[in-house]
Amino acid sequence: MAQEPQRGNIHPISSLIREANRVFVGMGFTLVDGPLIESEHYNFDALNVPKDHPARDMQDTFFVKDLPGHVLRTHTSGLQIRYMTEQSKKGVLPPYRVIAPGKVFRNEATDMTHEAEFFQIEGLAVGEDITLAHLKWTLAKFCGEVFKGSAEIRFRPSFFPFTEPSIEFDVRAVGDDVPEKLRGRWIELGGAGMIHPQVLENCGIDSKKYRGWAFGPGLDRIAMLKWGIDDVRLMHSGDLRFVNQF
Amino acid sequence: MKVSKLWLDKFFDAPLPDAATLADALTFHAFEIDGVEKKGEDEVLDVKVTPNRGHDCLSHRGIAKELSAILKIPLAHDPFATKSDLLPKTSEVSVHIQRTDLCKRYIAGYVKGIKVGASPQWLKDRLEAIGQRSINNVVDATNFVMFNTGQPLHAFDAHKLGSLELGVRLAKDGEVMEALDKKQYTLAGSMLVITAGDKAVGIAGVKGGMPAAIDESTTDIVIESANFDGVSVRKTAAALKLRTDASARFEQGISPELAAYGMSSVAELVQKLAGGEVVGFVDVYPEPAKPQFANVTVEKVNQVLGTSLTGADVADVFVRLGLPYKEQSGVFEVSVPFERLDVVIPEDLAEEVGRIVGYDTIPATPLPLDEARGKPPVNPNFYAAERARDELVAQGYSEVFTSVFAEKGERAVSNKIGGDRPYLRSSLAPGLEDALKKNIPNKDLLGLKEIKLFEIGTVWKGGKEVIMLGTISEIGPRPTSRGLEASEKILEPLDVTSYDDLPLSTTKRFAHFSKYPYIVRDIAMWAAGGADAEAVIRAEAGPLAVKVSLFDRFEKAGKVSLGYRIVFQSFDRTLTEVEVNQIMAKLSAILVDKGFEIR
Repeated sequence: MAQEPQRGNIHPISSLIREANRVFVGMGFTLVDGPLIESEHYNFDALNVPKDHPARDMQDTFFVKDLPGHVLRTHTSGLQIRYMTEQSKKGVLPPYRVIAPGKVFRNEATDMTHEAEFFQIEGLAVGEDITLAHLKWTLAKFCGEVFKGSAEIRFRPSFFPFTEPSIEFDVRAVGDDVPEKLRGRWIELGGAGMIHPQVLENCGIDSKKYRGWAFGPGLDRIAMLKWGIDDVRLMHSGDLRFVNQF
Repeated sequence: MKVSKLWLDKFFDAPLPDAATLADALTFHAFEIDGVEKKGEDEVLDVKVTPNRGHDCLSHRGIAKELSAILKIPLAHDPFATKSDLLPKTSEVSVHIQRTDLCKRYIAGYVKGIKVGASPQWLKDRLEAIGQRSINNVVDATNFVMFNTGQPLHAFDAHKLGSLELGVRLAKDGEVMEALDKKQYTLAGSMLVITAGDKAVGIAGVKGGMPAAIDESTTDIVIESANFDGVSVRKTAAALKLRTDASARFEQGISPELAAYGMSSVAELVQKLAGGEVVGFVDVYPEPAKPQFANVTVEKVNQVLGTSLTGADVADVFVRLGLPYKEQSGVFEVSVPFERLDVVIPEDLAEEVGRIVGYDTIPATPLPLDEARGKPPVNPNFYAAERARDELVAQGYSEVFTSVFAEKGERAVSNKIGGDRPYLRSSLAPGLEDALKKNIPNKDLLGLKEIKLFEIGTVWKGGKEVIMLGTISEIGPRPTSRGLEASEKILEPLDVTSYDDLPLSTTKRFAHFSKYPYIVRDIAMWAAGGADAEAVIRAEAGPLAVKVSLFDRFEKAGKVSLGYRIVFQSFDRTLTEVEVNQIMAKLSAILVDKGFEIR
């Protein structure tokens, strides 16, 4: 019989990043990447998370042996600093529009909803007239694409040292193609906020002139919601009974 | 922090709405709520106070103030409404602070002639509601005031102190003190201690010492209401593995002004509960905190939030939050209450406005496209990865992610929980080889002739962090002598000007797969005219047949031979050969009935 060439499958997280990139390229965003071993400067200090401050307890950090001052990055937010610093050093001023999907690490015991290594997507927009209202719209657009419906965003107060105001955002999507378990329900998705003026200054950007927002939800969580995956550990299982469903 | 509804009610003239309403109000205007629990007559909210509000909201007063602003109910009984002048002063007690950078203020209150006993029921109820054990009226009074105002307090037995010459100094390296938990702590030279006649009687901001513990025989006490440096307390508590309700509050940084309110409240409560007479106070406060101001314009608020609020809207928020202000041509100058150490810059005030008016009032405004910039540049690493994915998938490879943590490697992390696999991989190969081995037994279930995997991932080798592309397959293309060996190469970045339009997953829902072993059966037959063998098998093999695939087909002397592979698997148990054989026997009979000739 004729051999049908069997196609392989990409990982669902790869599909999600591909989709996110497509949506955000359309809105003028550039995808950036960076190292997984990150300096405490980029991961904490420049993001207003001083040493010996309780804010550092918000994340359980892996420290790198024999490399003082370095950690496995606990979030993709350090890529904000890398990007903005690089641009301002080159003399390229805002507007900036960036997404940064990538692997991040938390030093915690794993279970169905917690993994020591997982994926986040950072988004950043800086300009002279950027507001929280633009963030609401941008997140609604992204979530609408990902969850295949029309999405509404709800903000709740929160705290991150690198944003002011800080918010958590929830999404509610409606439409026939929205996964049934999500349809019409508020779902908690991640943190965001207006970039703290000190963070802009730390990157050499005039915070009197420019403002911006940043967001950083977990991609694993989005994938789990989108496809109804109940165990985050499947992501790194290397099991094709999982991967080949996507 | 655990917050009692009945406790909160005492700040207001009338009881607050029910706990569910309070939880909702806090969730959308202040803090996340981890849960609401019924405790007898009371309801207890678990409020996740954010680190920026540890200054003022690790207290019932702080939460009451928030609710007052959110629900527009005035705070009728505010312990911060009147400032106490802490009189009379006494010279019977003295305080010397060695490091005023680490202890900004120390107030000692000397009370004589008290009677230690059980606390009244109301106090026991309050403390027990928030998970605290009642100890005695004096200790309970200090705890109550801490949970009420946020100021940590401590009471010493004045006689047991041995000396009323108190000091705050760095510990001597190796100095040992028994704390109230009856454990011996060996202190380091970086830790701050409270002394009486130079003997350590407390670890500053962390825990009191056993030598001056309050007990039934106590009649005279010295109460401490002090302000210790957050970083110092944090380091000490971490080093001694002794995190307490007091250290958790100091760590956040609290205003030294708070110490006076804490002292006047606790002195009053101790006298009410245990009698006695206040001999007097000593207040060492070398550099009083200066009044703080913060400014914001209505324009700035709207620029940050993307709203169109008016000056009246902003003023209303400040009034509700108890933020006194002066307004001049759109500029609000706020005189920041001492406890609100978080309010400094205009954005802080914009946040206050945003959360109190409610973030639901923020519209969703389209982000303007920046046409001038043109098309965003393509990321060469991401493009290379996408290209590799597309090519490999076309060749039948599937993408896996395996852990970066490994048995060996050049780099390691120093503090991994559990401690296993602390190294960072220097190659993708071991992960891929493991994944291949795990997948091979599932080949039939997956309907694959060969397992082929790839991973694009980070490794650390030669002192560098590099992104590699690794592949492995069961058979080829070039099997090595070792057999199933992965090959890998550096993923070289590709410079292009636009992204390819690559397919996304079209899967709607992930389907669970069974964790139980499966059984495979092949069945071969001569076809019967136009009858569809596969349809018959699918219909008749039963729900345990999870996969049916045609694996062989040939024609001989005008007849067609069909070979099907059927995979049986249960979601809840391990199947037996016997039951699968029975299913196959029944299936064969049905196929024969339909005119197929089993080979």
